[in-house]
Amino acid sequence: MSAAATHPEAPGRPRLLARKRVRQTMLVWCFLLPSLAIFLIYRVIPLGWNFVLSFQDWSPMRPARWAGLDHYEEMFFHDEVFWTACWNTLIFMASAPLAIAMALGLALLVNADIRGRDVYRTIIFISYPLMTVAVAIIWRWMFDERVGLINYVAREAGLVDRPIPFLNSFTWALPSVIAANIWQMLGFYMIILLTGLQNIPQNLYEAAAIDGAAARHRFRRITLPLLKPSLFLCFVIGMLNSFTSFDLVYVMTGGGPARATELLVTYIYKLSFVQTKFDYAAAVTVFFFVLLIVVAWGANRLSGGNAGAVEAD
Amino acid sequence: MSDEDPDGPLWRRLLLNRFVLVPGAIAAAILAWNIYVASHDNGIVEGLVVDPKGEPVAGASVALWVLNFTTYVEHAHTRTSADGRFRFDGNASHNIQLAAEKPGVGRSARVPVRLYFKAQDATLSEPLRLAGG
Amino acid sequence: MHRYPRWPIHLTLLGVSFVMLVPFYWVLKTSVSGENIFAYPPSVIPKNPHLFYYVDVWYYIPFARYFLNSVIVSFLCVAANVVFNAMAGYALTRGFAGKSLVLMLFLSCMMVPFQATIIPAYLMTGRLGLLDSHLGLALPQMSTIVCIFVFKASFDAVPRSLIDAAKIDGLSEWRIVWRVMMPLAKAAIATNVILGFIWSWNNFLWPLIVTRSADMQTLPLGLARFLSYQEDTTGALYAFCIMVLAPGILLFLLAQKEFIRGLTSGATKG
Repeated sequence: MSAAATHPEAPGRPRLLARKRVRQTMLVWCFLLPSLAIFLIYRVIPLGWNFVLSFQDWSPMRPARWAGLDHYEEMFFHDEVFWTACWNTLIFMASAPLAIAMALGLALLVNADIRGRDVYRTIIFISYPLMTVAVAIIWRWMFDERVGLINYVAREAGLVDRPIPFLNSFTWALPSVIAANIWQMLGFYMIILLTGLQNIPQNLYEAAAIDGAAARHRFRRITLPLLKPSLFLCFVIGMLNSFTSFDLVYVMTGGGPARATELLVTYIYKLSFVQTKFDYAAAVTVFFFVLLIVVAWGANRLSGGNAGAVEAD
Repeated sequence: MSDEDPDGPLWRRLLLNRFVLVPGAIAAAILAWNIYVASHDNGIVEGLVVDPKGEPVAGASVALWVLNFTTYVEHAHTRTSADGRFRFDGNASHNIQLAAEKPGVGRSARVPVRLYFKAQDATLSEPLRLAGG
Repeated sequence: MHRYPRWPIHLTLLGVSFVMLVPFYWVLKTSVSGENIFAYPPSVIPKNPHLFYYVDVWYYIPFARYFLNSVIVSFLCVAANVVFNAMAGYALTRGFAGKSLVLMLFLSCMMVPFQATIIPAYLMTGRLGLLDSHLGLALPQMSTIVCIFVFKASFDAVPRSLIDAAKIDGLSEWRIVWRVMMPLAKAAIATNVILGFIWSWNNFLWPLIVTRSADMQTLPLGLARFLSYQEDTTGALYAFCIMVLAPGILLFLLAQKEFIRGLTSGATKG
């Protein structure tokens, strides 16, 4: 294709080179086009569409009418379910640091010089690539009131006298869902932290040991600071995961006994595809996305700026 | 991935890695299973009817029920031959029940028989035992 | 490192492994014996194990149809992913006007979860007439940013001299990508294949929204529908779970390294 362009002729050389550069740029853009199109169509345009839709009064049968801030007013001032869902989502998100701390402990253990660490790593990680629907069914049954394993163990161990209706009680439903989520995500956090741990140069530890630093200090002064990018990445992933845990909640509790486990994402689904209130759901989606960005930005600021996950060229 | 034997010939590298061996083994197992199913799916159900003393019963009537969604419906009847054996042809289900009775000798319990695939040829391991008189 | 006793570490890790594996064992046990659905107390070893629940699942629900749908959609996703992501990754290794803008766009798209776009995506798919079709199911997942950067990192590692030699030989850009760079990026391709497959195989929300007819459903949908019809009154539900989990586990065990490498590429460099 560019064979002719690689044999420049003296008089027409600048023109040929310019044509070659233009052609190369066009080619690069052609290469980018499919991926770019997919992201534009399925990420960028939907954001704008949601935003516009949230200000309209629209249903699939009728043409759109301008509704101004009606949906937002209804959402913030008249919708109990919205605030419950919002609160539940934030609680779910607050469980991520707990899971990350556990995963850090596991990563430190697995990183130690023991035999069979690859086997441990595989066993702990195997829950992550599984289908969340199947995981939800398994845990839904484990938490069952009559025949669940959790109740059985608790009763055998004498912790409780009567079985606890985990998924049917207002206090236990959301923690149960969170526990299932932690079970699934623990391996993922551990893998990321393990990679971060393995990237810390050993000679730093050795130098500190020579200088007489205790293990505690080595951990706080060397390990934690150098793990900050991995910890930040884990938190961002955990936050995204808790915001988007539709599969788990939908199958385990369907939103919970009287919305006790309703998350923003399940509420959005129900509004749009069960009640077909697309315009109101769009307003909730806008809030959902803004909340996500605010939390991510807040976490970035708290961790001191660009402790970010991915580098930019 | 394919660098487990970098010095071997190309065909060996392409063939002897886990991404070929494992799916290949699975495909071979599926093929073998399908061959087995195709050769054994004539829908023949055979068995023996005995009386409370353990003697074969001739002329007992045997009924075959077939699972229809959640309940069993009667599908076929036959009689045992002189040596107490019976045989059904044309069972198309994988979840059936059998019961035998002979007036004067008794009737047997409804025995569930579960098969591994529809119309699997089956021979009962335990005879249908008449009781009651 | 200082010497310290190993056995507490092993003990803790064994305990954690036990907790991680117990759900699997419990489901496996119930799928072969049907206990613990009504009976209490549960037993540890299944009495009278049998495989007939798996037969029930096979005939009671159109498992083969759901499986085929999942396979087709995943295949479409993975094939498109490899091609599109490789092309985009290669384009990002070249310098061109607007490159930083494109990079920023990609990075910020990572923060837009799919769940925030379901309404417009559904409406758009409806307008395109792709509702209830394999292509409509596969389309939103035909490119992922993580995999683009995996390819970019892999292409960046190709020595410049090879590309120059290919250029001197007169190869076009397209040929350079396919003949020179892709064979050297086998690890990136493997990572992309496994990540793309797992993500599209496990996807539940999008098929839930887009499918209308029962015979277009994918496996996760079939599983959830089975639960809502049958509740948990039969061991067949757990046999279905095992049948659904088995391919995922098998694939993961086969391609563990590639999977982990793809996920941690964001942790190391990006």
